[in-house]
Amino acid sequence: MFEEASEVFDNMFKSSFPLTFIVFIPAVLILVSPLPTEAAHEFTVYRMQQYDLQGQPYGTRNAILNTEARTVEAEVLSRRCVIMRLVDFSYERYQKALRQSAGAVVIILPKNMSTMPQDIVQQFMELEPEMLATETIVPVYFALEDDELLSIYTQTLTTSSSQGSSSAAEVLIHTATANGFQMVTSGAQSKAVSDWAITSLEGRLAGTGGEDLPTIVLVAHYDSFGVAPWLSYGADSNGSGVSMLLELARLFSRLYTYKRTHAGYNLLFFVSGGGKFNYQGTKRWLEDNLDHTDSSLLQDNVAFVLCLDTLGNGDSLHLHVSKPPKEGTTQYALLKELETVISSQYPEVKFSMVHKKINLADDTLAWEHERFGIRRLPAFTLSHLNSHREAQRSSIMDVRSVSPSSRHGVGEPPAGPYVDLRKLSRNTKLIAESLARVIYNLTEKGAPGDLQIFTEQMQVQEEQLSSMVDWLTAQPRAAQLVDKDSSVVSTLEYHLGHYLKDVRRHYVKADKRDPEFVFYDQLKQTMNAYRVKPAIFDLLLAVCIAAYLGVIYLAIQHFGVLYSVVRRITAPKTKQH
Amino acid sequence: MLFLATFFPTWEGGAGVYDFVGEFMKATVDLADLLGLHLVMSRNAGKGEYKIMVAAMGWATAELVMSRCIPLWVGARGIEFDWKYIQMSFDSNISLVHYIAMAAVVWMFTRYDLPKSFRLPVTVLLGLCVYKAFLMELFVHVFLLGSWTALLVKAVLTGSISLCSLFLFVTLVHSN
Repeated sequence: MFEEASEVFDNMFKSSFPLTFIVFIPAVLILVSPLPTEAAHEFTVYRMQQYDLQGQPYGTRNAILNTEARTVEAEVLSRRCVIMRLVDFSYERYQKALRQSAGAVVIILPKNMSTMPQDIVQQFMELEPEMLATETIVPVYFALEDDELLSIYTQTLTTSSSQGSSSAAEVLIHTATANGFQMVTSGAQSKAVSDWAITSLEGRLAGTGGEDLPTIVLVAHYDSFGVAPWLSYGADSNGSGVSMLLELARLFSRLYTYKRTHAGYNLLFFVSGGGKFNYQGTKRWLEDNLDHTDSSLLQDNVAFVLCLDTLGNGDSLHLHVSKPPKEGTTQYALLKELETVISSQYPEVKFSMVHKKINLADDTLAWEHERFGIRRLPAFTLSHLNSHREAQRSSIMDVRSVSPSSRHGVGEPPAGPYVDLRKLSRNTKLIAESLARVIYNLTEKGAPGDLQIFTEQMQVQEEQLSSMVDWLTAQPRAAQLVDKDSSVVSTLEYHLGHYLKDVRRHYVKADKRDPEFVFYDQLKQTMNAYRVKPAIFDLLLAVCIAAYLGVIYLAIQHFGVLYSVVRRITAPKTKQH
Repeated sequence: MLFLATFFPTWEGGAGVYDFVGEFMKATVDLADLLGLHLVMSRNAGKGEYKIMVAAMGWATAELVMSRCIPLWVGARGIEFDWKYIQMSFDSNISLVHYIAMAAVVWMFTRYDLPKSFRLPVTVLLGLCVYKAFLMELFVHVFLLGSWTALLVKAVLTGSISLCSLFLFVTLVHSN
């Protein structure tokens, strides 16, 4: 057999060269050419968080998927991509998908969150930390809804819910006409990002009147957190804190330029990164300043550290402390000034001090001031939230700001957490007044409770706050997305440089051998949805094509019959001639 | 195609209006197809039937390779399934029959012993063959046919043309 084949090849090569190409080229093409792709729909998907904190893994571990789409109503979910809409989302359904070892979960979020009813948003916010708490190998993605995605969802829904409820004939017709969808991501498997540097910024305003002046530190963390890093915009938590810090920096730098109002306190402003990951930026900053440098403002005379966290809304203010301040300290003075200012100028605000001891056995610290408390610096956190466990501190629903000039339209407030600019500017003024009273020792000097310093030229500028919050919420600020070259960091540095001196960057990189935090990549992918037919369909089609070819073959073989029929029909005519 | 691109100006009118005259002109160029078939058949020495069959099959295969191979290759191997490839395959079958009919009509047209009464039907059939594509597009545009319906209409049209030409052929061949 092989000799004959070689003979054939010899003849081919000898006789006509071009012909051989015609034989070989299709064979070569079959082997070599890659499979072209053209999807029914291509859309961006955002992956759920994946990180390790202090050795503990959180979130989803996988990024790639190449599975058929189904909705939750389908019976068989294993190795399928489960698509859910936010309106239908519930924890039981999510657990059901995970239990049946689904291939992936894609949650479709509406483009405009404000169309969602309040209870669904609340429920989702409560579920976010639960989804992250357990480590799962199923990749979970979030996609923003558009028309095509919605049509894909409805088609998949009809396919999934009709399974198992129809007769054999219906199933047969269904296989021929149904459209399945194959979801494929284009990226690679996720892996740990090495050498990620979390950036923090510091700046100072030096006091006047000698050496060894007491220092007041104002801190706010700028990163945001949510169930998906690319969707966490963090308006209230902590965009409000950062914009308030910048506004305070502006006001006090103005006060400090005039000799008459230059006070005898050093003001140190710190914008920290990695705040949502157990305050990594602050932790390393403290280590560097207290352990590794000879002289630093933090080592000497620190009056107190005030952390600003989530202050953009609400009619209450809570001062969270780990140790109630003793009488006679500057800490205590601030507490008293806050009470005075609120009771005389802002009676609608409910103020309280919340005492919570630092619990080192917990996985993560509660508030940022606890980092300072561990290093024996007097610190507290000011927030409108009562507890650090509030869901809105780490939710993707915390998206925007509402201003009284209502660019976003008058009417109902947004469903999720948001920044109310009027309340943010009220809180800023409140804190500024209290700080000024402490710095300039106004109560001792006999100033009345309703003395307002920040008025007219020194007014808190609401437009400044508004534009800051708008800029901050224009991009996601998750710690995994803001590296040292990011525009967020450089813009913050630029703004701080306007008002403060000695603006410096501070980097945190995870320790090589025992990393405190590990981030993973592949957080944003392009997913393709291909229209596919069920496997039975290919078989059916092949059978039909074989039948058709058989019929054609028979027709050609028996063409003579037709020929003779035609001949018989035409023959009498010619005989007549 | 090169001829078309060089000598026919692009249609500047609105998208909804169907350029009847332009498409008509373009279809007239298909007359060159007939010339080509005639040339092929004249070079082939043999009985009438063999000439027709060889020329038609060769022509149809060339058209298949040139116009349908690449789309099928590139498109049908993808993950997505589309009914248009099945339609394309049916279309190639139909055009095979069409070319056989066209070759037969051309052959009859050039016969010196064609009876006078046959001249008209043969010419009409020839015209139909050439402008079949144009007629098909007209139908699709005017009646807004779906793709499967258009295929059916095309099959019926080709079937009728080939039946007529078969009748004429048999009459011609067996009238002597």
